[in-house]
Amino acid sequence: MNKNPLTNPSQLGMKECTRRQFLKYTTGAVAIGATANFLTFDQIAQAALNNPLPSNTPILVIVTLYGGNDGLNTVIPYKDPVYFSSRPDISYKPETLLPLDAELALNPSMTGIKSLWDQQKVAIIRGVGYPKPDRSHFSSMAKWQTASPDKNINTGWLGRWLDTQPIDPMLAISLGSVLPPMLTGNKISGSALPLGGLLIPKGNLASQCIKLSKVDRTDSKLMASAATSMRNLFSVSSSITPILKAPAPMAIDLPTINGGNAGGDNNLSQQLDVVAKLIDAGSATKIWSVSLGGFDTHANEANAQATLLGVVSSSLTRFMSQLNSTTRAKDVTIMIYSEFGRRVKGNASEGTDHGSSGPMFIIGDQIKGGFYGDQPSLSKLIDGDLAVTTDFRDVYATIIESILKSPPERTLGKWSGRVNFLKP
Amino acid sequence: MSNLSLKQLFTPKQLTKPTQSKRLETSRLFHRFGFGPRPGEYAQALKNGYIPTRNKLLTPLNIDLGASKVTDPVITDLGKRPEPNTAEVVPFAVAMRSQSQALTLWWLDKMTLSDHGLTEKMTWFWHGHWATSIQKLNYPLPMYNQNKTFRTHALGNFKNMTKAMLQDGALQFWLDGQENTLKAPNENLGRELMELFTLGVNRYSEDDVKAIARSLTGYQVVRSNGTVTIKESRRDTNPVTLLGKTTVFNGDTLSEFLVEQNNCALFIAERLWYRFISSTEPMPLNFVAKNAFSNRDILATVTAIASDSAMSNPKYAMVKSPVEWFVSTCRALELTPSLLKTPNKIINYLDKLGQVPFSPPNVSGWPAGEAWLSSATAQYRITFATWLIKQSDLKALKQIPKEKWVEQSADWLGISKWSPRTILALQTSLNDAENFALLALCSPEYVVNA
Repeated sequence: MNKNPLTNPSQLGMKECTRRQFLKYTTGAVAIGATANFLTFDQIAQAALNNPLPSNTPILVIVTLYGGNDGLNTVIPYKDPVYFSSRPDISYKPETLLPLDAELALNPSMTGIKSLWDQQKVAIIRGVGYPKPDRSHFSSMAKWQTASPDKNINTGWLGRWLDTQPIDPMLAISLGSVLPPMLTGNKISGSALPLGGLLIPKGNLASQCIKLSKVDRTDSKLMASAATSMRNLFSVSSSITPILKAPAPMAIDLPTINGGNAGGDNNLSQQLDVVAKLIDAGSATKIWSVSLGGFDTHANEANAQATLLGVVSSSLTRFMSQLNSTTRAKDVTIMIYSEFGRRVKGNASEGTDHGSSGPMFIIGDQIKGGFYGDQPSLSKLIDGDLAVTTDFRDVYATIIESILKSPPERTLGKWSGRVNFLKP
Repeated sequence: MSNLSLKQLFTPKQLTKPTQSKRLETSRLFHRFGFGPRPGEYAQALKNGYIPTRNKLLTPLNIDLGASKVTDPVITDLGKRPEPNTAEVVPFAVAMRSQSQALTLWWLDKMTLSDHGLTEKMTWFWHGHWATSIQKLNYPLPMYNQNKTFRTHALGNFKNMTKAMLQDGALQFWLDGQENTLKAPNENLGRELMELFTLGVNRYSEDDVKAIARSLTGYQVVRSNGTVTIKESRRDTNPVTLLGKTTVFNGDTLSEFLVEQNNCALFIAERLWYRFISSTEPMPLNFVAKNAFSNRDILATVTAIASDSAMSNPKYAMVKSPVEWFVSTCRALELTPSLLKTPNKIINYLDKLGQVPFSPPNVSGWPAGEAWLSSATAQYRITFATWLIKQSDLKALKQIPKEKWVEQSADWLGISKWSPRTILALQTSLNDAENFALLALCSPEYVVNA
């Protein structure tokens, strides 16, 4: 482990190294035809490397919890007797909880996020959902990611934001191989960066693939896109690969544990490690997407969910600490959501205990810590489920307007709701 | 590279051949109305002429010898899921996994080995239309049964198909049909039946959604095998007013009523346009499919589309979805999916590319067009193709003299024309057949059907 925190791109040596790689790849590929509508290979490389994201540019990190996180066992109404009586087998002992105020407490495993809460960096928006809750994982997640709860559409809310931006494959990057629908636009989509197994063609094959990735003047629009997607593979990967090989920024304020057995490595922390490295290196990326699955806790919920929330909490705390050793810490805002919460009462039959609303977490230096939205009542249930007190589009509109600095209309249509969780 | 030398790269033959003008249409016939040509088929089709080729590709076979080589999988009723932490869990999970895998490979084999691509292509189309995912069912048998229903009706009458689909356990369970009761109506199936399966979005009111939900109450599904029954006590038998008609519907009368709507012809024409002609350009109002669907006859409609002038319009390119790309690659390389070394890898690769049969992302099916053109899919296509090519003897390519590789590989793969860009890339690989095949299969001309 490198003892010295890496604080700027040139310390990583990646500018030189990557540019050399680019030159090597591009010399074989002589430009033919007009490619005016597309950035050239060189331009993308230049953008990623020579024009790093300007300082003070806000960066959004989206954390998707797949499977339906049980919101009631995440932000727990620990003074409400109905909570304990409704779910005697899956409630936590009051003395283990991490109280946030006189009514609500965090899951016992979320010590890291509790400490960020104490530093006023955590906004918890309660009862978030959408009208007519859908209890299918797939449909509900589609509604969240498309921001279109009443109609099936094929573009995501951030994809539509990308449509309004200049084309740049670095602008939105999802960790993992499959691009989440959230980042699919009409014209432009985010890039996917698979973790591990990032096998980019090398040597002769690389230069041949780069030849194939030229846009030809005889290309139809879709063929040009096919060529460009291959070119993006090289531009994203060749600017990113050297950075990935560098050590992650140090989490200065966390104790170093030798042997690396501090609860075990896990995929979310690996994803966030990569994001931290790339943010530190100045990647021209405004949106990062990471995810963790397994929240569909039908059995042994108390233990399983505590483990997962512990992973979320510790990974994000570590990530925030890593950012503190870079110049970008104050620019980063994290948004955590899941497709739905779960039923108040456990429903044993067929395991259909998918619920409706749940809490969202927004974390960062720019955040005004505290609670937002009304806590859904446990005694006034709708169909046995928690009420939705905040529409997720209120949160999205706030993020697009105040973090991505764009008019929300072009992404969400007319939407007036906002949640005031940013510092003035 | 000057333009002069580029011109020389075109073989004069390709530019002047009288069949040139039908290369595009013939390529579209093979790749869109089937899963691509096997070696030699495209060149032979060009010799035979366009009309005979079209007739041949569109006429179903009495006996499909190729498809009959694929043995039906053994998919059983796995029964109730065992309690967690019991001894029964492991054999249950093993059977679930192996049967699900066998089911997927069986279908991929059918697509690859069939002598009548259109039947397989339409089965695939209907899977994306009535998009049902095994991820929610969690049992392979209902998905297998649904696939058989698609096969029965793939080129038949849409009215009969719709009736059969309301009796389909996988679809009913997927859209919560079994939770739709007199006391607590659930709109999921009814809404999608109108929006995504028969009429199209906004061609009905919210009151129609409530009415159709009531008409569909009472269905019960045995999840593990897909058996559908109707429980009269859970059924709402009061008359409803749906799209202006007041009556008591049952599944069959409801199917007939919906499918007879004019909007049904419009909607199915739109869906066929989107999957067969263009996912990016709007459908012209006079598109032939709408009238051709007047009897709700699917084969007649598809035949009309294949004969439409849109087939020769260069504007209507289509991206191959990952499954389409994989199957056409297997056909070109003469590979059988289930016989590949560690066939489970196929499903992993398809998963990375974002499209696994029986697992559409949601009820509206898979996306189309640019959604399949990300940097990550470009990468996985290269590694997937490399893996496949290693297991092929590349007979079709190797029997072409090297100096003709570039020219004749377009015929091998059913590509109407290589671009100057791809010709340049292919010419750097004339000493390495595997590499040549890789570039050809990952080229924009192969990933996108012109």
